[in-house]
Amino acid sequence: MPRFIPVDSPVTIELDGDQLQAREGEPVACAVLANDQLIFSRSPKYHRPRGPFCLTGACAQCLMRVDGIPNVPTCRTAVKPGMRLERQNAMPDVRIDLLRANDFVFRDWFNHHEFMAGWPIAEQVMLKIARQLSGLGVLPERPAEARQPAIIEEHELVVVGGGAAGLAAARQLSNRGVSYVLFEREAQVGGRLITGAEAGQPAPWNAPARVGAEVVGLFADDGKAFLAVIEGQRLHLVFYKRLLLTVGGHPMLPTFPNNDLPGVMSGRAVSTLIRRHGVLPGKTIACVGELSEARSLAELVKGAGGTAVAVGAEIERAHGLRAVNAVTVKPGGKIACEVIATCGPLSPAFELAKCGGAEVVWNAQARCFVVQADARGQTVNPTLFVAGEVRGPMSSSAAAEQGLAAADALAGGAGAP
Amino acid sequence: MSKSLICTCEDVTASEVEHAIGKGYCDIESVKRFTGFGTGICQGKQCLNAVARLLEDKAPKKPTPQQLMPFAPRPPLFPTELGYWASASFDPTRGSEGGVPGGMDIGFPTLRSEAPVKSKAKIVIIGGGIMGLALAWNLAEQGETDVVVLEKGYLCAGASGRNGGGIRAQWGTPTLIGLARRSIELMKRFARDMGINVWFRQGGYLFLAKSDAVVKKIERGAALHNQHGVPTQILTPDAARDVVPELTMTGVKAAAWNPKDAVIFPWPFLWGYAQQAQKRGVQVETFTDVVGFELGGGKITKVLTDRGEIACERVVLAAGAWSPQIARLAGVHLPNEPHRHEICSTEPLKPFLGPLVSVLDSGLYFSQSMRGEIVGGMGDPREPSAMNLGSTARFLSRYSQALTEQLPQAGRVKVLRQWSGPYDVTPDNSPILGKTPKLENLLHMHGFVGHGFMMAPAVAERMARWMATGESDELFERFTLSRFAEGRMEREDFIIG
Repeated sequence: MPRFIPVDSPVTIELDGDQLQAREGEPVACAVLANDQLIFSRSPKYHRPRGPFCLTGACAQCLMRVDGIPNVPTCRTAVKPGMRLERQNAMPDVRIDLLRANDFVFRDWFNHHEFMAGWPIAEQVMLKIARQLSGLGVLPERPAEARQPAIIEEHELVVVGGGAAGLAAARQLSNRGVSYVLFEREAQVGGRLITGAEAGQPAPWNAPARVGAEVVGLFADDGKAFLAVIEGQRLHLVFYKRLLLTVGGHPMLPTFPNNDLPGVMSGRAVSTLIRRHGVLPGKTIACVGELSEARSLAELVKGAGGTAVAVGAEIERAHGLRAVNAVTVKPGGKIACEVIATCGPLSPAFELAKCGGAEVVWNAQARCFVVQADARGQTVNPTLFVAGEVRGPMSSSAAAEQGLAAADALAGGAGAP
Repeated sequence: MSKSLICTCEDVTASEVEHAIGKGYCDIESVKRFTGFGTGICQGKQCLNAVARLLEDKAPKKPTPQQLMPFAPRPPLFPTELGYWASASFDPTRGSEGGVPGGMDIGFPTLRSEAPVKSKAKIVIIGGGIMGLALAWNLAEQGETDVVVLEKGYLCAGASGRNGGGIRAQWGTPTLIGLARRSIELMKRFARDMGINVWFRQGGYLFLAKSDAVVKKIERGAALHNQHGVPTQILTPDAARDVVPELTMTGVKAAAWNPKDAVIFPWPFLWGYAQQAQKRGVQVETFTDVVGFELGGGKITKVLTDRGEIACERVVLAAGAWSPQIARLAGVHLPNEPHRHEICSTEPLKPFLGPLVSVLDSGLYFSQSMRGEIVGGMGDPREPSAMNLGSTARFLSRYSQALTEQLPQAGRVKVLRQWSGPYDVTPDNSPILGKTPKLENLLHMHGFVGHGFMMAPAVAERMARWMATGESDELFERFTLSRFAEGRMEREDFIIG
């Protein structure tokens, strides 16, 4: 059993008719992994098996039909007793999907632009088949009930993201007597301080934060900026005067053969499973990629009773037909494992900042797009500040320093811009 | 097989991205459109940097950091149910202003080629959208290949790359019905003629009418359609529900149904026309901006671009909603105005929706793409005239309310992405074609009020013939720019979206 911390009073959920034991409130993806199920769905074109990669809602590899609703990110959905899960897009089922044939017919890739284009009859047949195979989930069975009307809020200062940078900023704002509202999409603040591989905990947190509140958009209708936030199953339109984005980044999928096999997970996903949920997704875990994160992760794996291999090695390819069974790394060659954890910096989540008017530029050293800002985090839009990993890869202490500097700038006074 | 995936949402492999780079697509927007990376559930969160890195490593000419630009992020940040958006309401008495990302344009100066454009061409076409490219290909078919097409952005940057792909013969005038029918014929053959799939799907168009005035309008329309060979039927609400069982018929009094109308995927039309025109010798210059004209003797003698001048005999203005600002450079005033129209697309669902459904009273329209997304929009009668490519929450709210009223299951369907494009609106909703008074070698091919895409194959065919042979054609005599000064309107009222 991948669970190394037993569940006190488990609840039952159903996966394609099978009964699974789960902990109420944990992410569905975590419960499924804890039941030794790595294959969550089949991919759209080639019907390759897929399992969770990021566990932060930033990929589409863990989607399932949940209680009749299609394409639900199971990593963002909490377990409720009696929940009904169905795996999607497979014929007849995800373990043996006949449409995987596509993967073998189109060995490198499928040229959808030219395939059978203009062939008499064949083109018509191809279009019909393509249409039938399209889509992932099936339209919900029942009409949706109307949501409660959206709540309108107005605030002077809003901080988005309660990770290392956001917490440091919030603490400093509190110290300086500046009122603000902090939105955190997870159930707890802390970000990588509580989910990352690096040991450590955030300092005790007493300042206010609205947890479980996910910002889903930044808008500027009629020239007034506001956030769309989903909190407690309800939409909030949050107008603000000034905004600090400390949203961090999304785990990046490194490019190597079979990088999409179930069992390939971001390093952050594996550390989250271990630290937050007491789940070790495989007995032997290859901790490849960036050395310091890989080493810390290897310690976590060992602490949870697993074996870490290929620590900090450079990955060349993953092996396995339906899930990872080995990895080839440099140095080291081919090593048997069940999970490959890819360690490395996140991809800065610049989306909200760009919608808010900030500039996003290519950082040639880090080789990723980052939000541009001055030393205090102010962007070209003077009411929009950013701090932490949204500005590029950095340690949690560097992110905290940036959060502090941005808070000082926002609080004003000596040295304020 | 051991594929290396770049985009797991859409199953795009590294080999596929390299193929696109090999075909000359060296900017992220173009690679996105050609491969489909970044268009799925994650909207680029996983794959964007990987593609930028491949461009750095594999592009024939390594892009500078300034040339690497992410594709425009649009709301929502995460897939968000239509039901949530429907729960917001905005002041209905106001027009829709603003939008994100702010200040969007289709020009990308850092991607401009350093090589000069050719200095002389018989015909310069301004605008590399469907109109300009279809015309270029048709001119080549007529034997005229000394043609340069100038496009300010990448192919598909303008309205041709931003529309919903609806194709219908249900129009309000015999001229448009005839053009649309010819276009549908040409679109059916497009894959064969051009060697590229356009995912033509004849699922029909179902217009719903909720007021007596609109019922009268569709009845009048159906009679006209039948006279001109279009098999439009008027259905009762119950019969309309047989076409799409999921629809509610709340408030619907009647429906117009033509099973022969269709939806297509817009982008490959541009690539198909461009590739085939280029094969015949036409030059298509992307990331090239027109900055002025040289005039002499009542004619344009040169087109001035940011990559040099082109001496030419004739200039065709086919820049859609951007046409007025270019005409101004030649001292010509056009009455067209750009109007933003917003649109959005949902998560991919298994096929359930055959036709494109439109509520004529509100302008709501939606269809299911060949990838399974519900793609739809709804025009805002209060939208002010402006070139604005931003996205608003007001649109998401209005659209979601209207869509979930017709399709209540969609309340739990998630929006993946919203975007917008400009309608090129003329005073009488009809296009501007043919010559310019007092500037005889400037020809017009714009003003299509949101339906240019579906008209382009047929219009371009006739325009090329008219230009190459000089034979008279009523299109280029009736729909001239001079009609506005002469008070000769050509009103079309079957506009949606």
